[in-house]
Amino acid sequence: MEFGLTEEQEQIREEVARFAENEIVPEAEKYDEEETFPHEIVDEAAEMGLVGSSIPMEYGGAGYSTLETVIIAEELFSYDPGIALSIMACSFGTEAIEAFGTEDQKERFLEPVAMGEKISGAAISEPDTGSDVSSVSTQAEKDGDEWVVNGNKMWITNGTVGDFFVVLCKTNPDAEGRYNGFSQIVVESDRDGFSADKITGKMGIRASDTAELIFDDVRVPEENLIGTKDAAFMQQMQFFDATRVGVAAQGVGIAKGATREALEYAQDREQFGKPIGEFQAIQHKLANMATETEAARNLTYKAAWHVDQGEDITKLASMAKEYASRVAVDAANEAVQIHGGSGYVNDFPVERFYRDSKITQIYEGTSEIQKNVIARELLGKGF
Amino acid sequence: MKILVTVKEVATVEDEFEIEGTAIADQYLGADLNEWDDYAIEEAVQLQEDGIADEVVTVTIGPEDCEQTIRQALAKGADRAVRIWDDSLEGVDLLDVNAKTEILSAVIEEEDPDLVLTGVQAGDDSFGATGVSVAEHLGYQWGAVVNHLEHDLDDGVASVRRELEGGVEELTDVELPAVLTIQTGINEPRYASLRGIRQAQRKPLDVQGLDDLGVDDSAVDSDLELTDMYEPESESDVTVWEGGAEETAAELGDLLRDKGVAP
Repeated sequence: MEFGLTEEQEQIREEVARFAENEIVPEAEKYDEEETFPHEIVDEAAEMGLVGSSIPMEYGGAGYSTLETVIIAEELFSYDPGIALSIMACSFGTEAIEAFGTEDQKERFLEPVAMGEKISGAAISEPDTGSDVSSVSTQAEKDGDEWVVNGNKMWITNGTVGDFFVVLCKTNPDAEGRYNGFSQIVVESDRDGFSADKITGKMGIRASDTAELIFDDVRVPEENLIGTKDAAFMQQMQFFDATRVGVAAQGVGIAKGATREALEYAQDREQFGKPIGEFQAIQHKLANMATETEAARNLTYKAAWHVDQGEDITKLASMAKEYASRVAVDAANEAVQIHGGSGYVNDFPVERFYRDSKITQIYEGTSEIQKNVIARELLGKGF
Repeated sequence: MKILVTVKEVATVEDEFEIEGTAIADQYLGADLNEWDDYAIEEAVQLQEDGIADEVVTVTIGPEDCEQTIRQALAKGADRAVRIWDDSLEGVDLLDVNAKTEILSAVIEEEDPDLVLTGVQAGDDSFGATGVSVAEHLGYQWGAVVNHLEHDLDDGVASVRRELEGGVEELTDVELPAVLTIQTGINEPRYASLRGIRQAQRKPLDVQGLDDLGVDDSAVDSDLELTDMYEPESESDVTVWEGGAEETAAELGDLLRDKGVAP
């Protein structure tokens, strides 16, 4: 067995940490408070190649695998989840284009994202379509050589800042079987009939942009369909392992950041004549946080490594996602507890971690869905 | 034009630390690329991007452990790296300026660059002399504490701005080949890009020993001896004036002049 990272992976981690400490940390509170998208930081991140790091070298990316992407996500999320997500999500949806797109589509859509010129998004959820993805009702109808898209998409990351979205649409309402008849179609945000409503008042990850998308007779050329018509579900399903491992990495990062903050505070804050870190009650909290973070990290890295071997690891990915997000929420909770009153106001980052951590148990499949998947796999029950 | 940049992995120290004998205890030490060298690399890479330099080579004296740090320069755009290490360097506690001068000069003679950029100093041992000493040894011209370099090295002349004490700056023309010691703030060092980090793994990093360079082992012997290391007692002193600004401002001025803070 080999548990070490390569020199290159260590170097990525160090440089990403350097970037986060210098560029993200000083601005994190402001973007959280104002609930605005951190364009300036995202531009700088793009210059460093943090945006679309998994896009292949020939399209301007760094061509990094799942494990390296996990390392980047962990590091960024350990400093500020809202800005981290704003950076990492700039290439949402491009995985489908990379895997199933034509050469022309890859040049049109992947390159500008890798260069930081355009922001992409993936539009799946709808007002009435959350965990039950097969109930998608946004429709695309063929009219001549165009697709005409109608419907609403909800909770869409980058909704008001994105330049194009990979939209999951029903293209064959008569298809048999609940997972058939869907296609992925790229819709550019400057098309007539497209509009986006920013969703405000989020509990956490407030720097990241979230919106409702409205498609009102939006016409796009037929060459905007990605891969095979009516086969979007099969296409999208194979990314679940990688995207769930990605959220697991976010959880590991949040837990790591919360632990780092709590450790520092426990050594500085004095009560009863000594640092509170000298008290066993606090020490045990810190020990648990560090141990659980390490366990979540190992589960996540292992899952990422298997994804990179091209293996199907549905159960392991769900385990990593469910466990790491739980550890994130627990660690952020304990970090606030260690900070006491100071942790309840935004003078310290732990208050933000506490709010930011919760989303990792919700998006990309809730914890309950992950447990259903794990149980289904354990019991040998089919799809 | 070929540019050679000397780079060093330096020891970094945590805020709280303890000294054991004549060294800071290991557990309080980290390692990083010398801050001044980061600016020197950036300047060289910018010269390359401006089409003035054709090749940027870094050279370092250090063990294998420092390769990860040295690759930062390759990830930022340097073309290749030379690392000097040798059994005879293994047990050396204090590699002094003379030793560094002999070793680096040998590399420079072999590489024959038009311009050598070094940091003004290393953040850990702070001799602040290696760049100038190398220039003197090789018979190169030099410019020390450079905080601006014109990116037009026509006619074999580097026009530099140098930072002097007391807020004074001077412009100097230095004939090439030359050594410039680079001050922080001359530019804004970039982050290594992910593509750069990836590409750096495939860039050449050549390891040479003293024999390869034709440098005698005795070069590493030093006449310097580190005799002690300690944290100086810190003193603080407060002067408070009562009254309005009209009557006390002049007194503050006198005090600042007395203490050497104001001219």
